[in-house]
Amino acid sequence: MQRAIERKGIPTVSITVARDVTQHCQPPRALFVPFMMGHHFGVPFHRELQQRIILAALDHLVMARRSGEIETIPVTWAQARREGKAIEQAIGQRD
Amino acid sequence: MTAHSNEAQQMRPGLWETINERYPGSMITKDDLVPLAHLSKPLSEARLTFVSSAGVQPRGTMPFDVAHPIGDYSFRRVPSNSSPAGLEIHQIKYPTNGAHRDLNVIFPIERLQELAVAGVVGGLTPNFFSFIGYQMDPARFERTLAEEIAEAVVAERADAALLCPA
Repeated sequence: MQRAIERKGIPTVSITVARDVTQHCQPPRALFVPFMMGHHFGVPFHRELQQRIILAALDHLVMARRSGEIETIPVTWAQARREGKAIEQAIGQRD
Repeated sequence: MTAHSNEAQQMRPGLWETINERYPGSMITKDDLVPLAHLSKPLSEARLTFVSSAGVQPRGTMPFDVAHPIGDYSFRRVPSNSSPAGLEIHQIKYPTNGAHRDLNVIFPIERLQELAVAGVVGGLTPNFFSFIGYQMDPARFERTLAEEIAEAVVAERADAALLCPA
């Protein structure tokens, strides 16, 4: 899919939680996040983290010079979950 | 010690092998690279699109067929000005517990709308594109669905594409 769009002349970047699957399909650009499947942009209600992941991907889209490069971002799932819980408590989504 | 030992590990190691065992022949492996396309304008002037395999679709549209043995090769247009309340998920192949509380964890439509308002990107395509990540015939997938979405992305005059394989 990504390769088909890039071939049309449109630069692409994907977010992946499975580095091995991405290495097999060789998309032009990808950002790997070490998160749970189905949670590529982080945890519920953590807007800043969701935004940060999109911005890191767009940065890679602009900066990449070599096809197939998988960029990383210094985040961990444990940290994202901790921050998410604190945010949910602050906004009354969690007891 | 591997070359990747200093990098964060994925939460489910060996996913490619696991899925390939469970659904033989469904996984794609490529040994060539696609030459990079480049932005023709600054990101702040570029029209961004979003393509997702998370099975997100406008409420009331034909649900993706999550039970078809060969897979669903159709896609839905999701208006980029949608609110999460107007969308629903028809896919069972990934944990949707986070997405059901805040859709933005897998389909960050509100964050993308905010980036457009803030001028980080020049704008969004009128529609985003959505399908489900379950196709047992990858050659058919590449020949049909991948090309159809790529053509639809071009038709909406996207300058850049963000993709999320769920």
